[in-house]
Amino acid sequence: MIYRMYSIFFGILVLISTPTYSLEVIEILGGKASEIPIAIVPFKGFENKAGQKAHQIISSDLNRTGLFRPLNTGGISNPPSSDININYTKWAAMDAQFIVVGKVESENPISGNIQVTWSLIDIFKEKTVVSMRYKGNKSQYRAIAHKVSDNVYEHLTGSKGVFHTKIAYVKKVNNKKYSLNIADFDGFNSRPILNTTQPIISPRWSPDGEKIAYVSFEKKKPVIYIQNLRTGKRTLLANFKGNNSAPAWAPDSKKLAIVLTYNQNSQIYTINADGSGIKQLMRSNAINTEPSWAPNGEDIYFSSNRGGSPQIYKVNINNDEISRITYEGKYNLSPSISYDGKLLLFLTNDQGKFKVAIQNLISNQVLKISEGPSDESPIFAPNGHLVLFTYKDYGKTTKIGTVSINGLKRLPINVGNSIIQEPTWGPVTN
Amino acid sequence: MKNSLALLSLLAIFGAGCSSTPLDAPADPSGSNYYGTDGTDAATAEALGLEELRGNTLLSQRSVFFDFNKYDIKAEYLDLIGAHAQYLNNHAPARMIIKGNADFRGSHEYNLSLGQKRSVAVKDALNALGVDDSQIETISYGEEYANQECQADACGQDRRADITYEVE
Repeated sequence: MIYRMYSIFFGILVLISTPTYSLEVIEILGGKASEIPIAIVPFKGFENKAGQKAHQIISSDLNRTGLFRPLNTGGISNPPSSDININYTKWAAMDAQFIVVGKVESENPISGNIQVTWSLIDIFKEKTVVSMRYKGNKSQYRAIAHKVSDNVYEHLTGSKGVFHTKIAYVKKVNNKKYSLNIADFDGFNSRPILNTTQPIISPRWSPDGEKIAYVSFEKKKPVIYIQNLRTGKRTLLANFKGNNSAPAWAPDSKKLAIVLTYNQNSQIYTINADGSGIKQLMRSNAINTEPSWAPNGEDIYFSSNRGGSPQIYKVNINNDEISRITYEGKYNLSPSISYDGKLLLFLTNDQGKFKVAIQNLISNQVLKISEGPSDESPIFAPNGHLVLFTYKDYGKTTKIGTVSINGLKRLPINVGNSIIQEPTWGPVTN
Repeated sequence: MKNSLALLSLLAIFGAGCSSTPLDAPADPSGSNYYGTDGTDAATAEALGLEELRGNTLLSQRSVFFDFNKYDIKAEYLDLIGAHAQYLNNHAPARMIIKGNADFRGSHEYNLSLGQKRSVAVKDALNALGVDDSQIETISYGEEYANQECQADACGQDRRADITYEVE
């Protein structure tokens, strides 16, 4: 399984030893998750063209999750590059619970192919957890390092890593130029997929990874497009009278929930991805918007002011049965559901400050994971362990960043000096 | 407030490229032009009562402002809405587009819905005065053309519904 996944991604992958699969599963939410001290030892061999080093990329990846505390390995003399002759006592004295060692070698100087051989070592148990070798082109240097992070993450948390996934966001320049961009999850390798002079909001990646739906104001009012990422071609999904907005993909990527107004208030509809089969979900005199499809394919979470102030509700698409989900606070918006259906992510107005919050849908406990005051657009990583959101840098310019769901790590994603808003996170694709 | 309304109305009449967005805001995408000069013949101008639309001070007022997260129409705007209702009732071919807006606080999508609630609130008030739904279209720009750095009272400029006419 693992072999197949990686071989598709990089072309070739060689498994040196069989992984042990003794998962060191961490209690992610609810427990007092303490960060695991881990040393990512500088890899022997070369860095990439931009001077980026594999161990720094891996450290940065793991650091974002709020589950690891990468140790400073800068001053270590003769760092090991394989799991042979590891001085366990020395690493234990440094407080390292795990270490990652590795080397980058040129496999074929003409084609530019490299191989990265690495091991994850458990210092307390004094044994190697996994050793692997990745082959790929040197242009894939960052992607290979992210794959090491994914593998370390999966071995130590029991959940898939998201370090090889993509994000999308809207860049706004001088209120005149808008572009929809996609990039690696950490902001590297960004490229625009749409440039326009009018606002773009609410991009949403299809769960199969092939398309992005978004709202554009190009037609002097909001309409919904679906753009194919492979071909770059786009189709108009909804251009009905009034506003067309808030696309939300169903888990099977075949349907979407959208919001239409005609000549009335915002109401939620479902529509096939080819634009056929439009159907109204429910009707009320209040605002119903921001649909977000639950992974069971049957429930749609949404925001509504039917109780006076905006709160989050869910509706069953088969029987229109509605239940209220959020009770804490007077102003809750922008629902997004974790991929296991257990956590609700949303925006809450906490005494005038807009913060990102998570509600455990089983215990209904709420945890505010950002400080505000102007945070927005929270969206889960595909493994539900990280959140992408916007904040106002120095209270002024909107930027994107990640926050771990335990609220411990909030870190910016640097994609330039412009206004960056309306982010979304792509799925895990094999 | 009166002064800013008057200024906004002037902008609308002299076709500064937008019906009533503040000067520092990006241009309204509908890019309205000065009406009655080109493309509109005398008979149409007569039927639409363009002279009246242009000259009447109440009709030249085009913006209804709201409180934060609210869409109920304040009493001070009833005369303005009454004048537009009368105009629409007297000129059946006239078509109005109401464009709702919101300040930047809160999510883009919720603000789009809030702006729509505001344009629908104006439409409902016009309906109550006998205006037919077929004469009105309601849309929203949400916070997309709002001042993203306003503070306190200054954000009030963005919480509004703008009345525009198709002919403009």
